[in-house]
Amino acid sequence: MSKLNLLQINDLTKKYYNKTALSNVSLNFEPGKIYGLLGPNGSGKTTLMKVVAGLHKQTSGNVLINDEELSYKTKAYVSYMPTENFMYDSFKVIDIVKFYNDMYKDFRIDYALNLINEININLNYKISNLSSGQVAKLKSVIALSRDASIYMLDEPLNGVDVLSRDAIMDIITKSNNENKVIIISTHLVSEIEKILDTVIFLKDGIVEVFGDAEELRQSRQLSVEGLYKEVFRNA
Amino acid sequence: MILALVKEGDKLEFKNNVPIYLQVIEKIKQDIVSGKLKPGEKMLSSREYSNELGLNFNTIARVYKELEMEEIVFTKRGLGTFITESAEHISSLRYDMAKKQIAAFIKGMQQIGYTKEEMIRFIETENNYMERNE
Amino acid sequence: MLKLIKLEFMRKSKFIAMTLITAVALNMYLITRGPAGSTMFLVLFPPALFVAYLIDIIKMYSEDINKKTGYMLFMTPNSGYKIISSKLFTAVLEGLAILLIYFIFILINGAYIIISTGAEVDYSQLISVVDRFISGNFGFSLGHVFVILLTALTLLIAFITTVYTAMTIRKSIFSEIKFGGLLSFIIFLLINWALSSASNKFFDIISPYYDSIGSGAAGGITPEKLAMGLLPMIAVSIIQAIVLTGFSGYLLEKKINL
Repeated sequence: MSKLNLLQINDLTKKYYNKTALSNVSLNFEPGKIYGLLGPNGSGKTTLMKVVAGLHKQTSGNVLINDEELSYKTKAYVSYMPTENFMYDSFKVIDIVKFYNDMYKDFRIDYALNLINEININLNYKISNLSSGQVAKLKSVIALSRDASIYMLDEPLNGVDVLSRDAIMDIITKSNNENKVIIISTHLVSEIEKILDTVIFLKDGIVEVFGDAEELRQSRQLSVEGLYKEVFRNA
Repeated sequence: MILALVKEGDKLEFKNNVPIYLQVIEKIKQDIVSGKLKPGEKMLSSREYSNELGLNFNTIARVYKELEMEEIVFTKRGLGTFITESAEHISSLRYDMAKKQIAAFIKGMQQIGYTKEEMIRFIETENNYMERNE
Repeated sequence: MLKLIKLEFMRKSKFIAMTLITAVALNMYLITRGPAGSTMFLVLFPPALFVAYLIDIIKMYSEDINKKTGYMLFMTPNSGYKIISSKLFTAVLEGLAILLIYFIFILINGAYIIISTGAEVDYSQLISVVDRFISGNFGFSLGHVFVILLTALTLLIAFITTVYTAMTIRKSIFSEIKFGGLLSFIIFLLINWALSSASNKFFDIISPYYDSIGSGAAGGITPEKLAMGLLPMIAVSIIQAIVLTGFSGYLLEKKINL
């Protein structure tokens, strides 16, 4: 299946009663690349991800995943990691793993159990008994254990200690291949930028910048973080 | 088959304001010229190498492509990517790198106000000093 | 679908276990108070479980649609129709299970009460023994109890689906407007009012049906007659539950904003 764009966002607008979160956003995501979705709070990054994940309905515009219109079926191709704590508190880690294994055909349970072991989380602990750092790591691991076409990670490094961030980024880069798209939204630009192929700057629901990270470095002689500070200086 | 630019457990740090693939290319060139990488030596696959450096595999694919265009590495279909065996290529690489170093050195010293003779004398004395204290 | 229902029961397993244990403990304690205590238990059980059930079933959906933990369920590749139907099926199964458990308690306590009057109990005929005892002493039979409780269950489930619909409206078409919560509650009241008016009209229209059943001859209404009399109500409730669930499913599919 060779598609030019695994994920196509066409003229997407999302309005809430007191603000417009996304304004005519059009983006194409090619397989094989890692995208950074960058911008300050309220820029629309989370809204964009939630629309693609099927949790929010857009006001206008459409989204195509593998050339299919967004529906409950396309959720099978998308692995979304929300920034919020969304896992059932009363569940043990192993219950969460079993849930994913039951609900998603593409869940790689052995891979997940391995990774959970590597990040030193006890399968029998309840989610409510994990530290926030452990929950943050577990979320990423679970999301990346799915063999999905599209991964959307909303702030995967938030709350993760400095040493574990490398581990998470490693798992992210190892997850990538020519058939997948990985979209990462984050504030920690300087840490993540070395693994990004393409960066997207979102400001007040509008795409301000879209470009190859290395080309931006070459032409502007700035790091992505430096460019970020320039673009969002007044945000 | 070794391409140990990185000590085990350590990760290379990259500057974010210079294209990363250029920095990796630079490092590989240095290692070739310094002898850490032998002529004809087999390199890690771009996937393995990117895992080792903690980078995106696209970045390393680009590195390998550039190096191949510069004929510093070559690919044997199905077997992998190898450092060039051409001593000529390696010494011209060495020459190019040295030239860059010299140019930067001369420019820097001129800015401090050194003349050519002063520069040459300084190189000699400094070199002797460094050799003695090795 | 089965996976979803299994998930629901798994999430409430602790609550179910605790309720059962409490009920058994309470029963054991009240039995120590003699047949009167036993009777009291049987009388208290329905209303108490009614409330517990109502809270549990509403919570089962409210937690998913209002809290972020709902993402677990709503990110799965299941249609909104399937998700909310699974809740409905779980509610039905849970309700029937509670009825069954209640009947077991009736049989156990009934046997105890009968024994404490000095009579013998033939356990191989336990159901009819208890049935006769109740009919003899209270004028109604187990059949009546079953019919009434089943009707109450369907009415309760139908009511719960109006709550579900209002909550769904709140998180879909009214999610982006001011006073969405208040409006959703008003819609909830309106739905209930409209449905009860409509069903009352319906019961009026079909009054010949009630005449045809006839009231009890000397001796009162049989459980069968009672069931037939309540059948329209049950049918209306079932239809209401299905329609509202379908509507909520539609909203979840097309208009959701979690």
